[in-house]
Amino acid sequence: MNTTLADLKKGEHAVITDVSSTEIPLKLLEMGCLPGNNVQLVQMAPFADPMYLNINGSHLAIRKETAVHVLIEKL
Amino acid sequence: MNPFIQKVLVVTALVIAVTFLVSKFLMPKKAEKNSACGKNDCGCH
Amino acid sequence: MSRQINIALIGNPNTGKTSVFNALTGLNQQVGNYPGITVEKKQGICKLDRNLKGHIIDLPGTYSLNASSLDENVVIELLLNKNDKDFPDVIVVVSDVENLKRNLLLFTQIKDLEIPTILAINMADRMDYKGISIDIPYLEKELNTKIALISTRKKTGISDLKALIQNYKDLSTEPCLHASEIDAEYFGRLRHAFPNQLLYKLWLVITQDVNFGKTNRKEMDAIASFKTKSESDLKRLQQKETIKRYQFINNVLKVGQTVDASQTKDLRSRLDRILTHKVYGYLIFFAILLLIFQAIYDWSSYPMDLIDTAFANLSEWVKTSLPAGDFTNLLAEGIISGLGGIVIFIPQIAFLFLFISILEESGYMSRVVFLMDRIMRKFGLSGKSVVPLISGTACAIPAIMATRNIESWKERLITILVTPFTTCSARLPVYLIIIALVIPEGSILGLSYQALTLMLLYLIGFFSAVFSAYLLNKVLNIKSKTFFVVEMPNYKLPLLKNVGLTVLEKTKSFVLGAGKIILAISIILWVLASYGPGDNFNNAEEIITEQYASQNLSEEELNKKIASHKLEHSFIGITGRTIEPAIRPLGYDWKIGIAIVSSFAAREVFVGTLATIYSVGNDDEETIKNRMAGEVNPILGGPLFNFASGISLLLFYAFAMQCMSTLAIVKRETNSWKWPTYQFVVMTALAYVVALASYQFLS
Repeated sequence: MNTTLADLKKGEHAVITDVSSTEIPLKLLEMGCLPGNNVQLVQMAPFADPMYLNINGSHLAIRKETAVHVLIEKL
Repeated sequence: MNPFIQKVLVVTALVIAVTFLVSKFLMPKKAEKNSACGKNDCGCH
Repeated sequence: MSRQINIALIGNPNTGKTSVFNALTGLNQQVGNYPGITVEKKQGICKLDRNLKGHIIDLPGTYSLNASSLDENVVIELLLNKNDKDFPDVIVVVSDVENLKRNLLLFTQIKDLEIPTILAINMADRMDYKGISIDIPYLEKELNTKIALISTRKKTGISDLKALIQNYKDLSTEPCLHASEIDAEYFGRLRHAFPNQLLYKLWLVITQDVNFGKTNRKEMDAIASFKTKSESDLKRLQQKETIKRYQFINNVLKVGQTVDASQTKDLRSRLDRILTHKVYGYLIFFAILLLIFQAIYDWSSYPMDLIDTAFANLSEWVKTSLPAGDFTNLLAEGIISGLGGIVIFIPQIAFLFLFISILEESGYMSRVVFLMDRIMRKFGLSGKSVVPLISGTACAIPAIMATRNIESWKERLITILVTPFTTCSARLPVYLIIIALVIPEGSILGLSYQALTLMLLYLIGFFSAVFSAYLLNKVLNIKSKTFFVVEMPNYKLPLLKNVGLTVLEKTKSFVLGAGKIILAISIILWVLASYGPGDNFNNAEEIITEQYASQNLSEEELNKKIASHKLEHSFIGITGRTIEPAIRPLGYDWKIGIAIVSSFAAREVFVGTLATIYSVGNDDEETIKNRMAGEVNPILGGPLFNFASGISLLLFYAFAMQCMSTLAIVKRETNSWKWPTYQFVVMTALAYVVALASYQFLS
């Protein structure tokens, strides 16, 4: 089963395994969302949307519709 | 200052005001549209 | 004779780039627009030494040269066009010590452009706090650059930076890594086809659709047609490029930077735990909002009164000191009053932007965007629409300009269209006088009815904005790729200098943007109100004197009556009478009609116009109020300003789109006539219908 960023729970750590280059804009990759990088869910807004993440040291928030396209492996 | 000059000044002010508004609202867009649009939306709709 | 060089400041958002810009240029800066597009152009002058000046452009913050928005496009357009007069002689990449890894991505891309580049690492004061240490010589060697370690907060390192800029010719223009290795064969072919061009530059042109101005068009077209790869292939290659760059950066930083995690005290996560909490986060935000509104209301009333008196005195002085005549009157009544009408809103606007700027500088605003995004999206808006909607309570003009950071065009458009519904400060004078007139005294639960009505009007403004956003979202068929990302920067104490400069800039945009239009319309309206066709107008004095001959009126009283008669028969008075049939079902008479027409210049003109209509000598609210209370409804007999017509008028102003200045800004920001026209027609129609319904229902 594929785990995506959207499946992360608050405080959990994970490693990014794959980023779909067609669905995810280049910008997110450029901000550090690359395979091999660590990610942690810092906080979730109500309804788990947006998600406040710490990706490779970058603190940012993205919408759930984007998060589902990032495959991860929970640590 | 005689009343005539005053009237002239008023008319001048009026003309300037009208011209200004007309140029602001009714003139065709002065800038050539540098359509730096690319694949993204940039408001050129 | 001093030489001038071009410097470009570039960097990620939230690195303190603006602070660096401010530190280098001080007040020698100006904000304008890039021609033809709605992106802010910030430039300034910095004195480097006796014979050298630096012309600095503060480019929009960006994470990469691969542009995904209009302002990021501006960056590439400048950097790829050697013929641009602002093309930099040296680039300063501003990064911050805590996000070096990510900041360096942009840096490596810039280096590939082979322009002399300096790396400025800002926020050096936080290094101890975070347990970070940097090996500068090592980094300088690996990155092929010179580094200035600065802290705009502690004001250190700026002179080092200036020295490096001065000696820009000593900088190496070698790139620090070879991105072309991601696909040697492809790039080899590229180099072969265009031997005279920078490889990276070619790559950028191919992967993006950028305009380079007329000079390079043909050449660029030739390059762009070198599409031997499909779009998805190109995207994959870009991904590879990004990965390769980060590999390089990671390797460099592994040696060049050490972080002692045990040292870090994490204020950010502690604050975030409360400020983005599912419940407390929202409560805190609303509490802050209430505080802000209360403060603005309280603090601005004093300066506003001062301004009011000052302009009234100025007007009087002009009338008495300058030779009597038409132009003097225009000056005193039209121009000075018009200017006064603009200046009087400066306190409110300045205070609002003071608060917003503090919230943004501190980093809190990103958290607000985070909290509000989901709710906003239900209405077709974005979390980033919060700032414009709040700003709209001061003035819609800077509010609409603040929508530029909304990524999705549809969300941005909707925000622009609905912001004018929020109760702007110009509506207040109208609200206040009508409320004083028709809302009864008394209170419930400690709040007076009058205060409650005012609050209700604010809420109506807000909810109609949200509701129309909802409708627009369903109705508008605009496809736009939305990609929402908001960086959550570290919390920091706002720098006074930055806040001050922001307030100055936003206030200027209001004064200049709205000011000229309001002034022009004030002049026109004054002329229309002071001149009229026919005998009725020209012989006003005789007519009135004759009419009131039997009554023993003082000269003052007589003059007032003459003024009132003149107004009635002036051009504007005729307009008022003409539209009277249309507005009578709303409970208004032609006098109110005149006031409504003139408030198209600026809504606050409503009160002043009423003063003239009811032949009140001054703008004193009490006097106007009493006079208005005495007006009789020509058809029904009872008082004209009763509860029904009062509410009708309030609601009319709540919904009507009268501000010409706002329409001008909407036209500029949406680059079309379509939208402001729709806004005007729909909102005014809505105002008419609601006012009509409420009057008919209440009477």
